[in-house]
Amino acid sequence: MIRASRVSVLHGAFVLFALVLAARSAKVQLLETAQWRAKARRQQVAASSVPAPRGRILDVTGALLVESRELVTLSVAPRETAGDRRRVAAGSTRIRALGRALARLGVAHEWVSRATDTSRAWVSVPGRFLASDVATISAIRGVHAERVLERVAPPSDGLRRLVGRADGAGEPVDGLEKTLDPLLRGEMGRAAVFRDAKGVRFYSPALEGSEPKPGRTVVLTINLVLQEIAERTLSDAVRQVGASGGDIIMLDPASGEVRAMASRRADPRSTAATALTEPYEPGSTLKPFVAARLLELKRARTDEVVNTFNGRWEVNGRRIVDDHPAASFSLADVIRYSSNIGIIQFAQRFSAREQYELLRDLGFGVPSGLPYPAEESGWLPSPHRWDSQTPASLAMGYALNVTPVQLAVAYGAIANGGELLEPALVKEIRNADGSVEYLRARRVVRRVMSEETASTLRGLLRGVVEGGTGSAAQLSTFDIGGKTGTAKRTEHGRYVAGRYTASFVALFPAEHPQLVVLVKLDDPQKSIYGGKAAAPVSKTLLLAAIAARESSLDRRSLAAAPTRSVRTRATLPESATSADSLRGRSQSGSVPFVFQVGEPRTLLPTVVTAHAVPNVRGLPLRSAVYLLHRAGFRVTFDGEPVHPPLSSSSGTGMAAGTSPVAGAAAPAGSTVHLSRLR
Amino acid sequence: MRGRTLVPLMLGGFVLVGAGVVWRRSVGVLRGREQQRLESQRAALDAQRAKLEADIRDASSRGKLARIVESQLHMHVPRSDSEVILLTRPPRFKVRE
Repeated sequence: MIRASRVSVLHGAFVLFALVLAARSAKVQLLETAQWRAKARRQQVAASSVPAPRGRILDVTGALLVESRELVTLSVAPRETAGDRRRVAAGSTRIRALGRALARLGVAHEWVSRATDTSRAWVSVPGRFLASDVATISAIRGVHAERVLERVAPPSDGLRRLVGRADGAGEPVDGLEKTLDPLLRGEMGRAAVFRDAKGVRFYSPALEGSEPKPGRTVVLTINLVLQEIAERTLSDAVRQVGASGGDIIMLDPASGEVRAMASRRADPRSTAATALTEPYEPGSTLKPFVAARLLELKRARTDEVVNTFNGRWEVNGRRIVDDHPAASFSLADVIRYSSNIGIIQFAQRFSAREQYELLRDLGFGVPSGLPYPAEESGWLPSPHRWDSQTPASLAMGYALNVTPVQLAVAYGAIANGGELLEPALVKEIRNADGSVEYLRARRVVRRVMSEETASTLRGLLRGVVEGGTGSAAQLSTFDIGGKTGTAKRTEHGRYVAGRYTASFVALFPAEHPQLVVLVKLDDPQKSIYGGKAAAPVSKTLLLAAIAARESSLDRRSLAAAPTRSVRTRATLPESATSADSLRGRSQSGSVPFVFQVGEPRTLLPTVVTAHAVPNVRGLPLRSAVYLLHRAGFRVTFDGEPVHPPLSSSSGTGMAAGTSPVAGAAAPAGSTVHLSRLR
Repeated sequence: MRGRTLVPLMLGGFVLVGAGVVWRRSVGVLRGREQQRLESQRAALDAQRAKLEADIRDASSRGKLARIVESQLHMHVPRSDSEVILLTRPPRFKVRE
């Protein structure tokens, strides 16, 4: 009975315990569900925000310029790595392994010492690393890796100036990154993670969170190939002419899209796209617009002649001097030889209001509308602030400031038939899923001249290159138009003696231009003239652009453009006339072929000039052929046409003579027969 | 006897159910950690891909290539003493067999 009673009591106690447990469970699970669920969630679940990667920036061909990537920062808790004092050996091994791994990673010795100093509680290792590079280090006890997003800078200095930078926290600092921040910035996500009893976090699909939404992809109008060409050419030009800096703009005049924007300054603190932020006095590059408006108003004709007083003239007590003095110039020659006296005389046919409206219509004095945070509007004084000298100064391109972009856009109007277009740097904006949210459309600001006037102007600009101040920009194979500019520079509001801005604006090709190229060099030391310092730069640029594959040029229409004398097949090497034999075929049905000429030739294709055949007797055959080519002749040798450089086998021996003989005058481009000394 | 059997069975069942819950949660935690590890690995690989792509872009950029071909192959980009001619590709004819 007693035993039964004990068992019963024990059973009863168990049953009671079970009942209490069940009752408590029922209370917790059924009555207090929400309360305990919330408490558990607070303890076990940690919510954190997940940064969204900034949108990518692409060039017009789809080449990646800027993107964000995930890196990690490392922090070390040396005491934690060393462990407790009972396991000194294991701790020392870990510390040594950590030191070796950090050194292998390239961390400075000083920081390795700090990270392995067990008297320290916490050390944040400077630098950001690829997670894969620090995988072994992260596995060491006491090493804490934190993921961070880093913006990869654009590949070149010019693009960095334009695109701008983002700081360590991903916040935009300047450039397009800043202006387009609302588009590039994505939406933060929310991540909920479980925490275990030790506080270690882990993901669980059972927890709700939201994925971060990446920023939009921005497609620029910039062509990376042209940009690289522009930057390298500018860098070379600045070095060669000893300039303190310079800017290059390449613009598609049909759409207003900027294809390249390169800037360079000697001052290392300069980080902006100075083609947008540093206006300058354009000098003579403004003269064609004066001519355009006069032609438009029918107040002048291109063949109308004005007195240019043999290059010296005084107006309102101010002496005006021409670099190309002449007794008189037609309007066409005023542009061709960049006559200050001539253009002032023509500009006197404007009222002040008309002259102001001309410049205002071209977009000077107002921002171009490009999405750049610090874009300058330039400066154009209103007529009530003019003095007696201002109209003459404006006609010569002084007394106003324009940015290189504004001037390139204005030349775009001459190139495209008279429409001033809104320039563009952003071509397209895509959502994270790839759908196009915005596609840039060509936008005409206003018509600034008729198509007929624009065509006349292109003819005048072609004259500048073919026989005027811009002849150094001449290409043998394409007609180009252009205008030189040489303007004094100011410092603290005063002109400084000996300091000039040399510039050149080119239209390529002269008819149906595909590119407007503006080259501006600050303080060139070798030559101050736009025609000598800047014009050759535009030639180099264009040659490289034509030869490049992805240069956004319509090669088919270029190849079909009217030919010039050098562009005939007869003047090419036999091997070059078979396009199939050449590498580098483009998909547009044409192939670029680059060959070397002795030196830049001044080609006036309508005039066949006679040259004296050089005396090559006794010279090595290679040198003889080179010399004859350089003099403008085609050469045959043993009845076969030859072209420099000769191959080593055929180029041995000495030249005996030529037919026609040395000293005889022969038309440029004619054939000279070369004989070998036996 | 019945009561004696029932109670251990209930307790055993309780332990089994509890063990099942703990096992399920443990597996969940392990899966969560595995998911986290894979997610980190994916992010690391993405970062590595971005870096490698950037390296490729850098290596194949005009600036880099031009210097190399100029110094090693003695080629050059067109300069002001060059001329570039665009040749139109001749039409291709199909040869009848």
